Amino acid sequence: MTTQDLIEKIGLKPLSKFEHRKVNGVFVSDMLSDVMASAKSGNLWLTVQTHKSIVPAANLVDVSAILITGGKEVPQETVDLASKYSIAILSTELPTFELVGKLYGLGLGSK
Amino acid sequence: MSECQHQWEMTNIQFGFVVFEKCFHCNGLRTYFSVEDTPILGDKYREGDCFWSRVENAQSFRFNLQCTKCNHLEKLDDLMGLLHCTGCLPDCEVEILRKKYEAERTWILVAFGFLPQAKTRPIPAYKLDILTDYFNQRRDASRSRIKIVPFNLIEDLSLCRGDFIHDVGMLSLEPPKGRKPLF
Amino acid sequence: MRGAKRRSNLDVQRLLRPDFIGARNDNIKTFTSFELVYLDSKSKATIVEIKMIRDALEASVIEGEDRLDAMVEQVYASDLMSDVLAFGRPNSILLTGLATQQAVISAHMAEFKGVVFIRGKKPKDGSEKFARDNHLVLLSTELDMYDACLRIDSAKRRMYPETKTSSVGQKTEEMLLSHEFSIQGNDFTNAGMVSTEVKSILKKIGLDPKLIRRVAISTYEGEMNVVMHAQRAKVNLWVTPKLIEVTIEDEGKGIPDVELAMQEGFTTATEEMRAMGFGSGMGLPNIKKNSDELEIKSEVGKGTILQMRFFI
Repeated sequence: MTTQDLIEKIGLKPLSKFEHRKVNGVFVSDMLSDVMASAKSGNLWLTVQTHKSIVPAANLVDVSAILITGGKEVPQETVDLASKYSIAILSTELPTFELVGKLYGLGLGSK
Repeated sequence: MSECQHQWEMTNIQFGFVVFEKCFHCNGLRTYFSVEDTPILGDKYREGDCFWSRVENAQSFRFNLQCTKCNHLEKLDDLMGLLHCTGCLPDCEVEILRKKYEAERTWILVAFGFLPQAKTRPIPAYKLDILTDYFNQRRDASRSRIKIVPFNLIEDLSLCRGDFIHDVGMLSLEPPKGRKPLF
Repeated sequence: MRGAKRRSNLDVQRLLRPDFIGARNDNIKTFTSFELVYLDSKSKATIVEIKMIRDALEASVIEGEDRLDAMVEQVYASDLMSDVLAFGRPNSILLTGLATQQAVISAHMAEFKGVVFIRGKKPKDGSEKFARDNHLVLLSTELDMYDACLRIDSAKRRMYPETKTSSVGQKTEEMLLSHEFSIQGNDFTNAGMVSTEVKSILKKIGLDPKLIRRVAISTYEGEMNVVMHAQRAKVNLWVTPKLIEVTIEDEGKGIPDVELAMQEGFTTATEEMRAMGFGSGMGLPNIKKNSDELEIKSEVGKGTILQMRFFI
């Protein structure tokens, strides 16, 4: 499953400029400390955090994409920083809880 | 140290707060890690000539690194947090490094120790190398890499507008606005 | 509560009216212990008891052991409290990694029913007291956020296998309640306890007494079969506005010939059991007579699953 597949299958909106890559598992948290401690390389990171520091956090752990849930608006500053580092920021109207069900349905586990 | 090619993993992970305190008398900054109850912002107390006030709590965590092969443990309790350089000062050494490594798809992060002790006793360079190794082992290093640099490269902390990678304002009941500069 | 308007018994028909928004438990003794909310068909909400969430997450109860039968409509997964306040809906439950009193306060202000702390986190401060004073349930689970959401979602789906629980604009069967019981085989002292409880639960939501009687009898017969012929069983009671379903899944010797077992008078009860007054051979036929739909799946040496459905 790649970021491209996910975008098409679930109907996610890409916000930043990035390269598509393979998605390995899902990580859900709004706390950067959680991400640093437990997220894995290639994870799809679900969050409602939109402050630009999600970009270096995502970079540090090498997630495949950041998915902002619940239709939260992402500040341009964050999008620009993400594009600069070629990190995917995707957006969805669905809230986190519902999204998890869909992702699991597509075969994405948490690891 | 052995000849082991260390393979690192995080251990002794502890979640808590990094507390930032400022003295309005000498403008000094103090930071420490707390696992206790949510420290109260604005809490003031006096210590000698200094009048400390808590200005920020950041949800954060601390950890040690252990080699999965030889069990060697490297303690990192002097690591306060990692800062992402936002390029606010073009001739800051960190910004210069950042630009240089960016071309090689290597992202620079600045390791901060706890103040004030880290000013005189910075985190040893070998520990930063270990931290760098750890993060590179944790990713597909062929795509991009991480390099951790010391914070004493920043000439004037009070001018730094970098972003710490920790959680600020999680408990705020107001929607998050911009972060106020810490230094 | 002094001065509160006394309400009549809840009835399911009144609940089904599209304009019926909610019934709250005001601690009036004549009231039921459930909080039932009916939403319009555009809503995606489905209702579950906190107890079900606790079981699905294998969570420990930090506070609110006596409030696990509270119902929640929505699961809100977030660590950002301003979001919780801005977008959270009343009667939800919060899943969060932020183990502080502020998280509990935020949940309370958003009129949530409780908070589940994930990754084994537990608040160290005055959260317990605050939760107790404000009637909130606090749970803690070792699971991470993703697995926690998944477990709750699967548990919900198991409850209604044919309906989609997360489509906008699609009418979903609103689960009014779900309960799980266990029966110990050969335990003649407690035989009948489960069906008695089922009866009292159904009475509380004000269903037709004749219907309750049919459910109670069927459940009783099923229970007795377990006590007489199986090692143990799990009983599930599910109620939606249109349907009551009782499923008894046992571990036991199974039924070699279901058709034979359905014949009145046929029994495999021992002399001892018959001396106690059981085993007249009317069990399964009785269930069939009292239920609207009956499905029996059995495997010799493994056990039997009895699925009984009653239309409201």
